[in-house]
Amino acid sequence: MKFAAAVIPTTVLSSDSTTHPAQNPTATTRETALEAEAPTSEVVQEPTSLQQKSGENTNAGFWRVFFSTFGTIFLAEIGDKTQVTTLLMSAESHSPWTVFAGAGSALIATSLLGVLLGQWLSKRIKPATLDRAAGVTLLVIMGWLVWDIGGF
Amino acid sequence: MVDWHLLGLSFVAVFLSELGDKSQVAAIALGGSSRFPKAVFLGTAAALLLASFLGVWLGEGTAQLLPAAWVKGIAAAGFGIMGIRLLWPQAEEATESEVES
Repeated sequence: MKFAAAVIPTTVLSSDSTTHPAQNPTATTRETALEAEAPTSEVVQEPTSLQQKSGENTNAGFWRVFFSTFGTIFLAEIGDKTQVTTLLMSAESHSPWTVFAGAGSALIATSLLGVLLGQWLSKRIKPATLDRAAGVTLLVIMGWLVWDIGGF
Repeated sequence: MVDWHLLGLSFVAVFLSELGDKSQVAAIALGGSSRFPKAVFLGTAAALLLASFLGVWLGEGTAQLLPAAWVKGIAAAGFGIMGIRLLWPQAEEATESEVES
């Protein structure tokens, strides 16, 4: 727990790249703004300036994206093969926290790689095309999960 | 005293099993299309950490506490909703730059 608690808040406070609301007048009214254009590389220096510039809507949008991502990924991962690996290793060893630290940093690394790859793609592909591809990908993941359930 | 061998072993095992897995594919899809890639990263990382924390903490009890089929069914519905949301507003999005509120 100490590990997770130490990593997450510092990442929240370090920097925040968001699309400036002025470039995106319709985005604030949207729920998740998934259809918004690719984020700019504008870096907000202080955590408080995010609220001053963008107001409540951007903040609420951030947390909505956070919780929808958190919820779906968490539910998809529970009982999945990562957990099986972790389980096996903690059963074999007598130091489950070492296993957790290794597994946890690997999971942070793979999710960071995933998001960075998505960002890299978003700079090269038209937003409309990317959204369509992302939408289809998410539906494929849905099929993947349904397939998993069928396999039980 | 840290068992670096065990730490490295668990890192590599989980890293390799997660590469190209659905949570990473979802992170690519959501991270590229969302206005808040940082929220996607934090949400994904926190979810994976909590899931593996529960794996270590509860061990075998997880399956009894949370029936995998139900949980995955809810997750499938969540991904479906997010996917449809991305696909739905194609028409209005194409003219987004012209539209002023």
